[in-house]
Amino acid sequence: MSAERLVIVGGGMAAVRLCEELVAGSYDGSVTLLCDEDHPPYNRILLSAVLEGTQPADALTLRSEQWFADRGIDLRLGARVLEVDRERNEVMLVDGTRLPYDRLVLATGAIPTLPPIRGLVRLDGSLHPDVHAFRSLADCRRLDVAVKPGQRAIVVGGGLLGLQVARALSVRGMLTEVVEGADHVLHSQLGEAGGRVLARDLRRLGTEVYTGARAVRLRDNVLVLDNGHSLETDLVVLTAGGRPSTALARRAGLMVRRGVVVDAHLASVTDDRVHAIGDCAEHRGRTTGFVPPAWEQASVLARHLCGEDVSYDGSRNVARLRATGLDVAVLGDPERAVGEIVEMTNPIVGSHRRLVVQGGRVVAAALVGDLSRVGLVTQLYDRGTVLGVDEPGQLLMPEAAAAPVTLPDEAEVCACAGVTAGQIRACSSLEACRETTRATTGCGGCTQAVCELLGVQPELATS
Amino acid sequence: MPAIETHCPYCSLQCGMRLSGRRTPEVQEWAEFPVNKGAMCRKGWNAAGLYGGRERLTTPLLRDRATGEWSPASWDQALDVIAERIAAIQAERGPDSIAIFGGGGLTNEKAYSLGKFARVALRTSQIDYNGRWCMSSAASAGTRAFGVDRGLPFPLADVEQADVVVLVGSNLAETMPPAARHLDALRARGGQVVVIDPRRTSTATRADVFLQPVPGTDLALALGVLHQLVALGAVDTAYVEERTTGWEDVKESVAAWWPERVERVSGVPADDVRALAAQLAGAGKVMVLTARGAEQHSTGSDTVLAWINVALALGMCGKEGAGYGCLTGQGNGQGGREHGQKADQLPGYRMIDDPAARAHVAGVWGVDPDSLPGKGRSAYELLDALGTDDGPSAMLVFGSNIVVSAPHATHVTERLESLDLLVVADIVMSETAAVADVVLPVTQWAEETGTMTNLEGRVILRQQAITPPAGVRSDLDVIAGLAERLHSPVKFPTDPEEIFEELGRASAGGKADYAGITYARVRDELGVFWPCPDAGHPGTPRMFLDSFAHPDGRARFHVVAYRGAAEQPDDDYPVHLTTGRVLAQYQSGAQTRRVKELPDTGPFVEIHPMLAGRIGAVDGEPVTLMTRRGTMTAPARVVDTIRPDTVFVPFHWVGANKLTNDALDPASRMPEFKACAARVSIPPVVEQGRQGPSRDQEVAS
Repeated sequence: MSAERLVIVGGGMAAVRLCEELVAGSYDGSVTLLCDEDHPPYNRILLSAVLEGTQPADALTLRSEQWFADRGIDLRLGARVLEVDRERNEVMLVDGTRLPYDRLVLATGAIPTLPPIRGLVRLDGSLHPDVHAFRSLADCRRLDVAVKPGQRAIVVGGGLLGLQVARALSVRGMLTEVVEGADHVLHSQLGEAGGRVLARDLRRLGTEVYTGARAVRLRDNVLVLDNGHSLETDLVVLTAGGRPSTALARRAGLMVRRGVVVDAHLASVTDDRVHAIGDCAEHRGRTTGFVPPAWEQASVLARHLCGEDVSYDGSRNVARLRATGLDVAVLGDPERAVGEIVEMTNPIVGSHRRLVVQGGRVVAAALVGDLSRVGLVTQLYDRGTVLGVDEPGQLLMPEAAAAPVTLPDEAEVCACAGVTAGQIRACSSLEACRETTRATTGCGGCTQAVCELLGVQPELATS
Repeated sequence: MPAIETHCPYCSLQCGMRLSGRRTPEVQEWAEFPVNKGAMCRKGWNAAGLYGGRERLTTPLLRDRATGEWSPASWDQALDVIAERIAAIQAERGPDSIAIFGGGGLTNEKAYSLGKFARVALRTSQIDYNGRWCMSSAASAGTRAFGVDRGLPFPLADVEQADVVVLVGSNLAETMPPAARHLDALRARGGQVVVIDPRRTSTATRADVFLQPVPGTDLALALGVLHQLVALGAVDTAYVEERTTGWEDVKESVAAWWPERVERVSGVPADDVRALAAQLAGAGKVMVLTARGAEQHSTGSDTVLAWINVALALGMCGKEGAGYGCLTGQGNGQGGREHGQKADQLPGYRMIDDPAARAHVAGVWGVDPDSLPGKGRSAYELLDALGTDDGPSAMLVFGSNIVVSAPHATHVTERLESLDLLVVADIVMSETAAVADVVLPVTQWAEETGTMTNLEGRVILRQQAITPPAGVRSDLDVIAGLAERLHSPVKFPTDPEEIFEELGRASAGGKADYAGITYARVRDELGVFWPCPDAGHPGTPRMFLDSFAHPDGRARFHVVAYRGAAEQPDDDYPVHLTTGRVLAQYQSGAQTRRVKELPDTGPFVEIHPMLAGRIGAVDGEPVTLMTRRGTMTAPARVVDTIRPDTVFVPFHWVGANKLTNDALDPASRMPEFKACAARVSIPPVVEQGRQGPSRDQEVAS
């Protein structure tokens, strides 16, 4: 039997993860990775940090061309796929190349949606020169050179990406504003209270937020909103969401709703030799748009292709806003998850935290402005830990500050020598204490406490 | 009689001390010894507490398997019985049917003689030791990264020169208290201390920065820190170019470890990861020190490599007052791993499958190189094989209390009981001696002379200060006596100094070269750091200043992947269990539990108030801990210093290691002592009149 020919379309984060896991699982077929960008696969998550200037662009590469070559993976950069021919089991590239496959993986990701704003697109179909998308490294580079400190920028779309880009532009010195059609920012993830806290944070950081307003026209460096505002700007960035990139699948006759519809083996329900993972896939009626589920799908698919008996059962997602000065974590879907809500909003300090608890488990959460417990809450959410009745509330309480106490005589002060406060109080001097109890003669950590108990100056102790 | 300079019998710090008094030695400070400068913890001050106690063994004992009764025997009887049984078993089942299990507390002379005894007198490959459970992950990583493994490649006092010291999984303020003085000195001159531990330990309370990751995720944290160092442009590219190989692949491998991903895995907030990286990036001298918390994992050696990568990327290794080091645990954890107690090694860190190494060592021993056996099983694999069809059917144990210290201890004890012959040499009736067929009473610490190699690679001399009780013999006498009865082709000396000279010749030219070290030099120079190839060589306090020990002189970056602990919490076992030590006890407690001045509290379960509230646990009242391997019940200690999703049990008593996981690190064969999944609940109440926990609370645990 000849080795299975596996062709992966798309060079994003899901595709790379799939390759890594196939290597780890010693997949015995041949792998071809078709990557339409010219750059070897890179970490898209970090693009807003590159724009912000906190991440060098040359440290984004996830796997070099050499890495793929060393592992026998045929990586083709700049390889755009024109059609999938399921009758002949071939993929046709734009340059006319035909590639036969036994198994095909679509990891084509998402494409940014263009909001209906007049003046965005010129007559020849290209974007207005002052308008930017923000999805690829090329987009990032183009925007990077357009950034001019002191000039004005408007970000259209107040979702996670939009806020990250807005903060990045602001950190770079641009006068930045955000326009969001819904009545608060991060409306897919947060309720109104959380959105308000966040908008306040943004304003505090110098970024004006227009909510409940849609941009309708761009002309002569003025963006006109449907609420009557006209905002002057030098730059517009479109981050108003994306949609699964499904054109190839649709043309190939695969079942597509919002994304390519897949089963528990991430296989198309139309053709089990074709799989879809990441942003372009739709599993149980859901598309995701985040890296963690895409990676989980890649991992499950790789193990399936390596012969393991595994299936995909949906993912727990944690979305984190990565932007200097804004603290947001969204676990699962806190607006729609079913359960009891434990919530604390404190507009005075600018924090909003919501836990959705079902059967003792944290099934979703939103944390804004106070991430002090994010590590623990994430662990409890990811592991589905069943909590006691008091714990959800305790998770939202501040940790109690330790009050100074007078040590009782039986309290151990010097752990090294096992000496209690009472034994130390019974000594006449530090020297006598050292001699008779050995306190302070070990790690030295109790010197301060011993001196206080004896009422002597600590300096004398450092003999 | 003048006081004799010697060292504490416990941890790898080997604090210098003076002993006076012939019958009951009195401990005094030895202020000139640079490692501890006279400071000691209560274990050291009370080191003499094991003398003359009723529990001390003073005659060989034979156990009747039918009745379980012990009967005293003469030394000749005991050694004859052992030799006859060994000869009979080997005649039937071959040389590998006999195993030797050593310890990281044995002197260099004993460790060396034991390795030689196995290979020459028994001709068995089946020898390993409990040091495999100590720092083997760091040893494996150090060897791969630097070409040689010496716990600290610099004197401990160098800590004081660093700007930032990062302690990964070390609670040195409790496990080696006087070492904490160096941290205080560092902070006094403006340096900073970072502690990474699932518990806010007493070491953490004296740190400037404390991070509290999920047990088993230190590796992810290191990947995140390195990612962020790249982002900050803090990598010392000139150093990387000049002194290392493998950077590009490592750089690429951390591109996918941005701080928020690390947060999700480790529970350490992303901003704390960023802050730590920024702190390291801004420091001139960074020192990263790992200990058991980072190392005792099925991913332990990769975890250490990940932190070494951080130190290398910052250009710190081989720079004075900076670099990477491992804080070894056992008294002779360092020396014990260098001279042939390990299944795959010959003296001087020579590999047993290297023909040149075999030829050299066989030459010193006066035997044919081809007569030396090959590589044997690692510690846990050896114990797991005992009494099985291809495994050994007899074992001799020196300086180890396996029943308490082995992971998955119930299973290991079953293996011990399946042996045809178990011989234990010890000073007291330890839990392991109690299941033996023959117990041999041996000398301890100040009753005998020998060298140890402390955590810095400094060879020191523990001198005899008092006369041993009548009836006990040195391990060296046991080895020589058995070798003679087994018709060994060569004689085994019993004078420690004579053995040390032979060890020097055997190690000559090896990585851990002791050839130039003598007892006289050790006495005169307050210890000598290896490598020290000849009498005129000053020893090597600081390694890697000019070159690393790989043939090309460069350090190696290694790409490591995060895998996580082998056993993750789930619905049945929802919390993490980790284990460790307390100040007043040492290792399996065989010694310290018998010193009346040291409080023997018994085991306890540290548990966070949130988790305690969930299951209804009350401070001081018993809780039951259960894992897939065993169960124990001990009082709860409700403390807010531990992660709410984690419980902690000290391992000095029987119990903790019935719970621990025997998953092994693929490179070091280190078991996963420090992370497994557990269930904690209130034990069912049997007495009348007390209210038990409700069923619901139990389910909720």
